[in-house]
Amino acid sequence: MIETKALDLAVQDLRNILRDGLIATDIWDRTDGLSLAGHNQQPVAVALFTRITAELESSLTDSNFPPLGRYYLLDMGGNHTAVVINHGTLLQGMLVDNRRANLGILISVAIPRMIEAVQRAKTR
Amino acid sequence: MTARSVSWTDPKSIALLLERASGSSRGARSPAAAGTRGSARSTTVERARPAPVEARPPAAPKAPEPKVVPKLEQASDNPSDRLDTLVAWTLDHQPCTGAFVADDNGLTLAAHGISEAHVSLVGPLLSALVSIRSIPGINATAGALLLGENIMSWVEARTERGGFCLGAVGPEPLSALALEQLKEALELTLQGL
Repeated sequence: MIETKALDLAVQDLRNILRDGLIATDIWDRTDGLSLAGHNQQPVAVALFTRITAELESSLTDSNFPPLGRYYLLDMGGNHTAVVINHGTLLQGMLVDNRRANLGILISVAIPRMIEAVQRAKTR
Repeated sequence: MTARSVSWTDPKSIALLLERASGSSRGARSPAAAGTRGSARSTTVERARPAPVEARPPAAPKAPEPKVVPKLEQASDNPSDRLDTLVAWTLDHQPCTGAFVADDNGLTLAAHGISEAHVSLVGPLLSALVSIRSIPGINATAGALLLGENIMSWVEARTERGGFCLGAVGPEPLSALALEQLKEALELTLQGL
């Protein structure tokens, strides 16, 4: 059981932290690809990162590498960074403008807060 | 010729008178009496004389009173606002030209007047201090590092999410009191992150 209202509040908190550095975000269920909360939601990105994450996890497993941890980042063209957070049964994607968002705040503040908030929403 | 007769005198009473007279004279000139008078006179003289002025050492130049630094007040719950407030407070109240907040990997969370390259020094610096802290009695959560012409002073605070560092860059290292103020301010700020 996931409280979607708590997810909405978590997304709002993320927007407050990253401000205009956050271009888009989605939180979705990885089994059905259903987006539960977000800002400037991107259904295509949801489908893309569900597939990339599944491929990445299976590749890591097949290579006897340690499993995926809390998140991974992609440095993209046009001063963009894509972050995918592993919430277990849920995934979250973020598209961030590097020029406007601070990487330190993203990694040390925004992502840990998001992980805690989604965990609370799942356990309610 | 007869010798002059002093028969009318009583030799004993004469002798007694002489003795009395000589005794009173001696008493009047006794050293004790003379000494008493002398001391009284000298006291009078001393009173009349102005007291000698004590030689005072030249007044040392007064050390400048330590500047009263108001405690940091965080009015916002937003982490970015809190970090910006902390950096602004540091620049306003400490003798520095730059200030920053970084995580223990050296990633900048907020900064002003210092490059991210300099802030990134915090990562290896804090890693190196981990082993130093294993020495009993060594706290090593604050310090100063010479960076060319400037000195970076920093304090560290730890939370459940890891370590964070508040640094200030200026021509001189910050005092122990200033470092204590920075640490208190950093800990207050981290409560909302």
